[in-house]
Amino acid sequence: MAILTLRGHDFEVDEDGFLEDPSIWNEEIAACFADTEDLPELTEDHWKVINYLHNYYAQFGIAPMIRKLCKETGFDLKYIYKLFPSGPAKGACKIAGLPKPTGCV
Amino acid sequence: MTTGGTPIKPFLAKDLSLLGLPEIAPENRPRKAVELLGEMKEQIRSLRLFMDSCAKCGACAEQCHSYLGTQDPNNIPAARVDLVRKVYKRYYTTMGKIAPGIVGAEDATQETLEQWYKYFWQCNECRRCAVFCPMKIDTAEVTIAARQIMTKLGIVPKFVMGIANNMHKTGNNMGIPVLALKDSVEFLEQEMLEETGKAIPIPVDQEGADVLYNPSSSDFFANPDSMIGAAKMFYAAGTTWTISSDIVETANFGLFFDKGVMKEHSNRLLNAARKLKVKRIVGGECGHGWRTWKMFTPELNDRVEFPIQHAVEEAMQYLQQGRIKVDPSANPEKVTLHDPCNMARGAGIIEEPRYVLGRVVENFVEMYPNREKSFCCGGGSGILMDEIKETRIKLGKAKADSVRATGAEILVAPCAICKAQLPVAMEGNGVEVTVKGLLDLVGNAIVL
Repeated sequence: MAILTLRGHDFEVDEDGFLEDPSIWNEEIAACFADTEDLPELTEDHWKVINYLHNYYAQFGIAPMIRKLCKETGFDLKYIYKLFPSGPAKGACKIAGLPKPTGCV
Repeated sequence: MTTGGTPIKPFLAKDLSLLGLPEIAPENRPRKAVELLGEMKEQIRSLRLFMDSCAKCGACAEQCHSYLGTQDPNNIPAARVDLVRKVYKRYYTTMGKIAPGIVGAEDATQETLEQWYKYFWQCNECRRCAVFCPMKIDTAEVTIAARQIMTKLGIVPKFVMGIANNMHKTGNNMGIPVLALKDSVEFLEQEMLEETGKAIPIPVDQEGADVLYNPSSSDFFANPDSMIGAAKMFYAAGTTWTISSDIVETANFGLFFDKGVMKEHSNRLLNAARKLKVKRIVGGECGHGWRTWKMFTPELNDRVEFPIQHAVEEAMQYLQQGRIKVDPSANPEKVTLHDPCNMARGAGIIEEPRYVLGRVVENFVEMYPNREKSFCCGGGSGILMDEIKETRIKLGKAKADSVRATGAEILVAPCAICKAQLPVAMEGNGVEVTVKGLLDLVGNAIVL
């Protein structure tokens, strides 16, 4: 565990830079974490993905299937990589305050 | 032990409570390592043999993708094994005790353990070296032993321990809870209905089905086409089947670091099969998971009353029996096959995927080397950590060279670790190709 200071706030993060405690997440925190992904500005499309991820995680306790994320947001995977260069798992999930997806992925 | 500076070693796990191991103070670790090595050499005859056998002929050097990619001399299989052998000699051989300098025997120190952690997590346990070694030394056996010793000392990568914790908690490596699993199942059924007009089920916990299907949990995150392919295949063949909400994981990470974890996973599947009263088990696309099911199941369980078969064998049988019809024009691209180490070299499933691909794709080309001489993707034995991505790209270089030479558009890899590692290895080595599972292509080609 480490402390990451973003926009003047201290956050407890794991070695991969993901928020240790997803329950504290809010939109301001998302904006702070976007800095770590070189995304100074989050557009409406970014928020569509972030909010979908956050809500799915709140309901189901895990990140959604990538295919479902694409279907529900209407964005194909290529576009999601354009929005989040690190990808849905390592980029978008981090900003949305989810734990980092792990396994054979 | 720290990984400060540029991380070239996997992050260490902090919470190993799942393993229930006694805590060893860091200053006692070298002494304890020697003790554990002593125990293992008594229990595992092959390990002792490998300690005594190496002729230092160098045949393994040019055959190991880890050495070829990293150019680090300690990644030469013979040198890697020497990291353990020099300690073994010091404490367990006469010459090593009396005149260590003469025979290359060394004391076990903290530095020794640093080296073990660094290099045994750069060995993919692919066993290609054993194919070319005149003494048939299986470096993977040494890697497994060294990692087991490190586990007992409390030294485990965070990535691996996280997966073991997920497996224990949810029955799958991703940590997918039951409600999420059911949501994903529902979603995929809806997708299949939209695509085919047919209500193709993915049954969950269906008692009395013939087959318990055990896929990789990555099918429910990154590789749904593999799950769809399996569902379509069983549907077309008229097989009654089910997945178990208690375990959707064919990958057994215990093989990589701890026998207790390996055993628990294996027991869990057989118990699920008993609970659902199935007749047999079919394993999904996972290489080392398959090797565990095939080679280790009897020794890990009191009894094994279920025949266990791989999904690729299942597909081949359906084709041979005419139970499924396929149209290869559904897969017109140039396709090549990566033989996952533990499925092919490790467990002999070599011609079956070729039989199937020969019928479901139009343009299949072999890569070289292949079959039991195939190079590892570079991710084997759980080396999928993000923090060592640069190393993983190097580990995948030999495979990338093989793929590049084929000019293929699609790289078939019937293994979840390979599916995760190959995109990194290919992109990192400048090879443009799309990675897919075998069942993915079967699913495309099936005529419903």
